[in-house]
Amino acid sequence: MQFQLTDEQRALQDAVRSYLRDRFGPDKVRALYEDPTSDGVPADLWRALGEQGWLAVLVPEEHDGIGLGLLDAAVLARAFGAGTVPGPWTSTVVLGEALRLAGSPEQQKSLLPGIAAGEVKGAVALLTPGSSTPSGAPAQASGGTLSGTLAMVEYAEVADSLLVAAQDGLYLVDPKGSGVTITAHETLDRTSRLSTVVLDGAAGDKLEGSSPEVVQELLDRAAVLIANELVGLARFSLNDTVEYDKTRVQFGKPVGSFQAIKHHLADLHMMTVMAEHAGLYAAHAADVDAADKQVAASIAKAKASDVAFEVTGAMIQYHGGIGYTWEHHAHFYFKRANRLQHTWGDASQHRERIARLVIDTAQSSDATGVAPSGTADAQGSGVAAGAA
Amino acid sequence: MDLRHSDSDEEFRKELRAWLDTNLPTEMRQPEFWRGKSDDERFEIRREWEAGKARAGFAGIVWPTEYGGRGGTPTMKAIYDEEMAKANAPSSVNPLGLAFLAPTVMALGTEEQKQEIIKPLLHCEVIWCQGFSEPGAGSDLAALSMKAEQQGDEYVLNGQKIWTTNAMHGDKIFTLARTSSPEGGKKHAGISMLLVDMHQPGISARPLKQMTGASEFGEVFYTDATVAVTDILGGEGNGWATAMLLLSFERGSSAISQYTEFHKQWEEVVELAQTLDRDGRPAAQDPVLRQKLAQSLVDLECLKYHSWHVLTQTSQGKDLGFEASMTKMMWSDTFRRVSDTYESVVGLGFQVPDPREDLSLTELSSLAMWSRSCTIWGGSQQVQRTVVAERVLGLPR
Repeated sequence: MQFQLTDEQRALQDAVRSYLRDRFGPDKVRALYEDPTSDGVPADLWRALGEQGWLAVLVPEEHDGIGLGLLDAAVLARAFGAGTVPGPWTSTVVLGEALRLAGSPEQQKSLLPGIAAGEVKGAVALLTPGSSTPSGAPAQASGGTLSGTLAMVEYAEVADSLLVAAQDGLYLVDPKGSGVTITAHETLDRTSRLSTVVLDGAAGDKLEGSSPEVVQELLDRAAVLIANELVGLARFSLNDTVEYDKTRVQFGKPVGSFQAIKHHLADLHMMTVMAEHAGLYAAHAADVDAADKQVAASIAKAKASDVAFEVTGAMIQYHGGIGYTWEHHAHFYFKRANRLQHTWGDASQHRERIARLVIDTAQSSDATGVAPSGTADAQGSGVAAGAA
Repeated sequence: MDLRHSDSDEEFRKELRAWLDTNLPTEMRQPEFWRGKSDDERFEIRREWEAGKARAGFAGIVWPTEYGGRGGTPTMKAIYDEEMAKANAPSSVNPLGLAFLAPTVMALGTEEQKQEIIKPLLHCEVIWCQGFSEPGAGSDLAALSMKAEQQGDEYVLNGQKIWTTNAMHGDKIFTLARTSSPEGGKKHAGISMLLVDMHQPGISARPLKQMTGASEFGEVFYTDATVAVTDILGGEGNGWATAMLLLSFERGSSAISQYTEFHKQWEEVVELAQTLDRDGRPAAQDPVLRQKLAQSLVDLECLKYHSWHVLTQTSQGKDLGFEASMTKMMWSDTFRRVSDTYESVVGLGFQVPDPREDLSLTELSSLAMWSRSCTIWGGSQQVQRTVVAERVLGLPR
C-alpha cells in the first residue's frame, strides 16, 4: 500500500514549485491583474513550460512527449493552482489528450510534437455553459463545417488550435480561419482570459476516433486536472491564512488563538486534506483504469470545488479588511476558485453524476424511477473497495 | 502510488475469510438474531465468539506472539478490520482494552504487565473499562478529582467515574486518579493511571440509559477501593502523558473498519431511498435527496482514501502524532453526515421502528442515534479541533 506520490513525482513537484518561487512570483501574477488587455500568457513563463517538459507530460514518447500519467499531470496542476499560474496549460493538455485518444496518426503527428514543445497553444469548447455531460456539445456540424456560439472559451485569442465538440464528435478548428469570430471578455480572474467564439461555417477537421465515451473521458480527465488545481489553490490559501492569523494581533492576542477562527481553520484543513486525497486517487484511478475511475473523478471535482471556494472565501474573511483590498492577493485565489469550480461541471453537477453512476445503477429492476437524463456515462460502474 | 497489498497480506485475508465462513454462523450476521435478546445475553454470546476467534489466532494482529498476538503487519490489521466489518462480525466486547489499553501496555508497560494483561484481554477473560471522565471532568479531563491515597503498599481510592463503557460487564478498570497533589497548581501533574480490580467491595457500578434506550455505559463509584501501588501503568505521576498516548492510539487507527461499516449503512439508506415514495416518485429520484446521498458517498470515499494514507504512514513506521486527531474527527463527522442523510430520507419513519410491515428501521435508526455519541466520546469534536488547530496547524493557544 503506497497511497502517496513516488520519489520522481515529488521531485517534479519540487522542481515546478521552485521554478514558480524563483521565476514567477506574486509580482508576475499582479502584473497580469494590472494589464487586463494583455494576452494573459507571459512569454517567458510559457517558454519555460515547454522547455521543462511540463506540456509534454501526457504526450506519448513517439510524438516527442514524456508519456507519463494523469497523476504526474495532477502534480503540475496542483502547483499551478497554488501559484495562480496563467496561460492555457490545461486547455493545451486537454487538446493533446483529445488527439491522443481520438486523433488520426496524421493529426497526432501534426500537432502533438508542437504541443509537447510549447509551440502549440490549445483552446477547447466541449460544453455549453451550464452543461457538464457529453450531450452539452456547443457546435453543430454540417458537411464538414461548424456553426454555433462557444461561450467562456479560455485563451481562444492566443490559441493555435481550437478543439470543438459538435453533436457528432470532436473537431479541430483553426481559430484564425474564416468563419471564426473571437470576442474577448474582461475576465474577473485575470490569471485567465475568456472569450466568446462564434462559428459560422468554419472548417472543421474531425477527430475520427471521437465518440461520446471519448468525450466523457476527456471531461473526466479535465475535471481531475482542475480538481487538483483547486486543491493546490486551496492548500496555498489555507496555509497563507493560518500564517497571517498567527501574527495578526487584536484584543492583545493573535487572532488565530480565538476558537471562532481556529476551529474553522481546523475544519478547512481537514476538508483540504480530503480534497487532496480525492484528487490524487482520481488521477491514479484514471492511470490504472480502475473500475471506479468515473465516480472517483466526480468525487474529486465535487470535493475540490466546494473546498476551494470555502477556503478562499475564508482567506478573505480571516485577513479582515486587508483581505478585501485589491493590493492583497486573496482575491486572486477567490476569483480563480470561482472560475475553476464552475468549469467541467460544478460540485452539484458532479454529485448528480455520482447519483446516476452509483445510485441509479443500484436500483432494482422493478423500480419506477424517473430515467436519468440521456448521457453516455449512465452505464458507469459502482465504487470498488480497492483498485489496483 | 500502488494500492495493492503484498501477497502475504492477501494470503492472510483469505485465511481470515475462510475462518469466518466456517466460524461465523449466518444467523449471527443478521440483525434479527440480536433483536429480542437482553444486553447480558448479547454480551455473553459475543464474548464467547470473540474468545474462540482469539484461540484461532485472529486477535492482537500486530502484537508479538509471545504475548498472545499474531505478530502481523499494520496492513494485516487493516485487512482484519475490513473483513470483520464486511462479514458483519460481532463487535468486540473488549473495545477499550483492545483499542486503548493494550497498545499503551505494549508501549509503556513492564514485562510483567505485558505478560499479565495482553493475552487474557485478547481472550476476553478480563474485560477492561476505562475510568477517565468524572461528573466534573469531561472535556477538561485534567480537572479530575478522584483521589488515590497511599496506605502501605496500596492506594485507597475514593471518587466517581462516569460514561464508563461496559461498566456492568467490566472486570478491571484503568483509572486516572490523583496520587499526589498537583505541584504549583499544575493540574496535569500528580495523576497516575491505576489498574484497578472491579470485583471488590469498594467498587460499585450503575448503568446509565442512553438516548437509544440501551445501557452500554454507566457510572462507577469508588469507596475506599484498593489497588496495589505496583499496579500503575506508565509510572507514578505520569498519568496525564500515559492517558494522552493511550487516546492517540484510537484516534490514529486507520478508519478502514469505520469506512466499511458506514459504507454498508449508506448502501442501506440508498436501498431505502429507492423504495420510499416521495411525491409520487422514489425518494432516490428527489433532486435534493440525491445531492445528499451523493455528498455522503463523497465523504465516505474521502474517508477511505484517508485510511489508505494512514496505512501508508503506519506501514512505514511513521508516527502520525497529532494528525491522529484528524482521523477520529473525519470518521465521526462522516458517520454523522451519513446518518443525517438517513434522517432526511426516512423522514417521519425515524419515529417508529416498523413503519411498514416489510420494513424494519430498528438498526438504521439506532445507528443514526449512535452517530451522535461518536462526536463526543474519546475527545469531543470541539476538543479535537483545538488539537488540530494548535498542534497540526501551529495556531497559538
